[in-house]
Amino acid sequence: MSIEKDVVSRAIGGDREAFAQLYERHFGGIYRYIYLRLGNQSEAEDLTQEVFVKALEAIGSYKWRNLPFAPWLFRIAHNQVVDYFRKQGKVEKVPLEDDMPLVSKSNPALTAERELEIDKLINHVEKLSPAQREVISLRFGAELSVAEAAKALGKNEGTVKALQYNGIVALRKMLLTDK
Amino acid sequence: MTRKTEDIFNNCLEQMFEGRNIEDCLNAYPKQAPELESLLQTSLALAQRSSAIQPAPEFKEQVHLQLQAMLYAKQKEKERARIPVWYRRWALATAAVLGFLLIGIGTVGAAASTLPDATLYPVKLAAEQVKVTLAFSDMDKAKMHIQCAERRADEMVQVARQGKSDKITMLNGQIANHLDKIPVIEEMPVVEQSGAKKAQVPATAVAPTLPAPAPSVGVEAFGEGKEDGELEEMLSQSRAENLKALRNALDKAPEKLKPVLRQAIENMEDDYNKTISIIESGANQ
Repeated sequence: MSIEKDVVSRAIGGDREAFAQLYERHFGGIYRYIYLRLGNQSEAEDLTQEVFVKALEAIGSYKWRNLPFAPWLFRIAHNQVVDYFRKQGKVEKVPLEDDMPLVSKSNPALTAERELEIDKLINHVEKLSPAQREVISLRFGAELSVAEAAKALGKNEGTVKALQYNGIVALRKMLLTDK
Repeated sequence: MTRKTEDIFNNCLEQMFEGRNIEDCLNAYPKQAPELESLLQTSLALAQRSSAIQPAPEFKEQVHLQLQAMLYAKQKEKERARIPVWYRRWALATAAVLGFLLIGIGTVGAAASTLPDATLYPVKLAAEQVKVTLAFSDMDKAKMHIQCAERRADEMVQVARQGKSDKITMLNGQIANHLDKIPVIEEMPVVEQSGAKKAQVPATAVAPTLPAPAPSVGVEAFGEGKEDGELEEMLSQSRAENLKALRNALDKAPEKLKPVLRQAIENMEDDYNKTISIIESGANQ
C-alpha cells in the first residue's frame, strides 16, 4: 500500500492525525485553486473551509478504487465553486476592470509588489473561458498532474492538455497586450 | 493546433515543474522551440505568481481547529456506537426490570428520603447508580453526579443533627467522589475571524483531555471517631475544595449546565455551613 493510500485509509477510519496530514498536504492547493477561480480572498477562504468540512463529512464513504484522493477532494472543490456561482447568480466569465484590486490587503505575508503581480495574474485568468480557467487553476494553483486534473474534472487527459495549451496561449496574448 | 504540440508543451511543462531548465526542452524540440519558448516563459511567470498565493496562517489554523473539533465529536459518536448491541439491550432490559421492580413495590419512593443508617439506603444509592449508568450524554451524567453530591450534602446536615459524626465523614467522602466523576464538558472557544467569515465550531464539545480531577478529601483522610475540632476542620477544608471544584466547573461549563452548577454551589455551601454550625453548637452531643 502506498503512503498516501495508507494515510487516506487511516483518515477514513477516523484517525485525526491522518486527516491532519491530508489537510496539510492539500490545504494550500485547494485554497489557490479556489482563489484563482473566484479572484477574491474572503470568498476563497469561505469556500476552502466548506470544502474541508464536506470532505470530512464524506470521507467515510470514499473509495480509493473509484478515484484517487486528490482528484476526489478537488472534485468537491469544483462542485463548491459551481454551487457558488449558481447561488450568486453570477456568470463565471466576467471580464474585470484591469485596475480592480482582487487581493485583500490584509495579508501581511505579501509585499505590495507581489500583490500587484497577483492582481494582474488574476485579472488575466478571469478573462479565460471557464473550462480553460478551471484547468489552469488546477494545474498551476493546485499543482495537480494532468491525469489528476482530468479525473477531478471527469474529462480525458487529451482535453485537459488542449485546454491547458489554449489557456496559456491566451494568457500570453494578454501579457503581450500589456506591454 | 495538433495534439502533438499540446503533448510536447505538456512534457516541457512537466520538466519545468520538476525544476529543469526551459532550454533543455527547447533543445529537445528545435522545430517547435520558438513558439514553445514564449509559452514556457508565460507558464513560468504564472507558476511563480500562483505559488505566491498563500492562505493566511491564522485562517489555516482556524479551519484546522474546526476540523479537529468535528473529528473528535465523530470519534465520540463512534465509541458510543461500538458498545455491543446485546450489551446495550441487556443494560436497558436490566434497568427496565430493576426500575419496574423498584417502582412496583414502592421501594424507590420509600428509599428516597432515607439516611445512611436505614435498611433502604442501599436501594436509594443503587437507583441513583442506575440513573447515572443510563445517562444518555456526558451532560446528563454531569447533572446526575451534581444532584447526587447535593443529596449527600443534604443527608450530611440530617445525620449531623442526629449526632452521627462517622456518617458525616462518609457522606463528605461521597460528595467528593461524585464531584470527581463529573465529566468535563467545556464550551468550545469561538475562534475570532476576520471579515465575513464565521466559525462553524460546534457550540459545545467534550474536551479532548480531562483536567486534573477535583480535590477529594474524605473517608481515607478522616476515619471514624474524630474529635469535633478535627471534624470541623475537615468539613471547612472540604467545603472550600468542593466549592472551588464546582466554581471551576462553572467557569468552563456550557450554558445549559450553568444553572445546575450555580444551584449546586448555593446548596452545597448552605449544607456545609449548617453541618459545621450544628457541630459547633454541640447539637450533636
